[in-house]
Amino acid sequence: MKATWILPDGQEITAEFADGLNMMEAAVANNVPGVIGECGGNLSCATCHVYVDAAWADKTGTPDEFEDAMLDVAEAPHEDTSRLSCQIKAGAALDGIVLRVPQV
Amino acid sequence: MTVWTPSDDGYADLSSHGTFAQGAPHNTFARLRRDDPLSWTDWDGGAGFWSVTRHEDIVKLNGNFELMSSARGIRMEDQSYEEYLARRTFQETDPPEHMKTRVKVAKAFSKPVIAEFEDQIRELCDDILDPALEMGTLDATKEIARQLPMRMLGRILGTPDEDLPWLVEKGDALIANTDPDFTDHVLDKMETDAFRMMPFNSPAGAELYQYAKELMEHKTAQGDTDGILNMILQPGRDGNVISETEFRNFFCLLVAAGNDTTRYSIAAGIQALAHQPELLSQLQTGDHWDTAPDEIIRWATPALYFRRTATRDFEMHGKTVREGDKVLLWFSSANRDDAVFDDPFRVDPARTPNKHLSFGQGGPHVCLGMWLARLEVRVLFEELVKRIRKVEPAGPHQFLRSNFVGGIKSLPVTVTPA
Repeated sequence: MKATWILPDGQEITAEFADGLNMMEAAVANNVPGVIGECGGNLSCATCHVYVDAAWADKTGTPDEFEDAMLDVAEAPHEDTSRLSCQIKAGAALDGIVLRVPQV
Repeated sequence: MTVWTPSDDGYADLSSHGTFAQGAPHNTFARLRRDDPLSWTDWDGGAGFWSVTRHEDIVKLNGNFELMSSARGIRMEDQSYEEYLARRTFQETDPPEHMKTRVKVAKAFSKPVIAEFEDQIRELCDDILDPALEMGTLDATKEIARQLPMRMLGRILGTPDEDLPWLVEKGDALIANTDPDFTDHVLDKMETDAFRMMPFNSPAGAELYQYAKELMEHKTAQGDTDGILNMILQPGRDGNVISETEFRNFFCLLVAAGNDTTRYSIAAGIQALAHQPELLSQLQTGDHWDTAPDEIIRWATPALYFRRTATRDFEMHGKTVREGDKVLLWFSSANRDDAVFDDPFRVDPARTPNKHLSFGQGGPHVCLGMWLARLEVRVLFEELVKRIRKVEPAGPHQFLRSNFVGGIKSLPVTVTPA
């Protein structure tokens, strides 16, 4: 599948990667700056925070209780389309998804 | 010039705390990474254990909490279920239970909340460094490295400064419970059965529990909102308040684990300055403050290992790990793995990327205090290198007697002011 990350300076990174990764792993594998994932995708660090593009927000679903709480821990503000990208599983339904990397 | 050269013969006993009193046995770790990356150690103090020493393997296992449980103990020592219940902190739980406590405390230690403390930390550094450097020759662990985390602990807890030396002494007795300089109840040398149900097998744990209880009662009664700790006592978004047991255990964790680790990171950084002379001028350029703190923390690796327990049989490197076997993930070894780090025994303040595992990166238990540790290390070294022209060893340094906490407990240096 394919995804695009829009960096805080407007630069875009588009990459293809295997289904089955999560979006943090995909970002790290493609050297997307600002998506770190220090806890390895275990919902413990909030360093993979992204804003899901509004057009895709319905398809990614909503954060569960723990993710919602951890979004308050992230460096950038917790907004309506905030997600920890380790909790978004890549797959056909999200092919072409656009994610914004927060300014920190 | 290298900072420090390991002296072990390549076959050190990893179960022996005494081994680590000479510094981590990196010749042994290098041999294990090369020849025996999943290695069994028999131990006369309890059940034997597996050691995992390669960076790649540790990252893989540390992220797999379903296979590698934290809920049966996180140190080499065996623990009965009763002891576990009596002593555990959220370090000794697995997801999703781990998250229930973690979300209650994570905000208080988040990067933006911690960043607010930079000015306070800088003021503390002024207070610590000016008198310490005036001494000329000093024990840098005692006069500098120990001071900053201890005084920050006071800001976090909102406790009076006069209580801090007592708290730090008790914290040290908990965590460095295998070094006779830090406790009267040396874990592997005395009959500590009477203390088995106490946190960290130590009467210091009971004293800290009592202090935490009184502190919590006092704060509630006074409506005292001083310190980060107060954030933890507030109801969460779901209206839940932290339980007394959770609070007490968390308090012990802060006083014990959150204090000596930053101390030993600072000490290792000063050791590096004393033995790798180009480092001082590199830091003085001011170009490396984004990367230098993590490199100092990689060099230090205060948490030498964390233990997990296999939840089922599995094969690795041609061997079978059985359900219930203890598996030690040696972060200390991973941080010197030349498959990941060029010239791992050199402190390179510009090292990028720096995939060190000092904070247990890659797993759910990644260090809660990592932003505070990084900030304290950065500000302390910013302030230190501004003030000095040279730092030299003034005698041999001494390591802690512990295979769990790696640290320089005594670091004599002579400093020349700028």
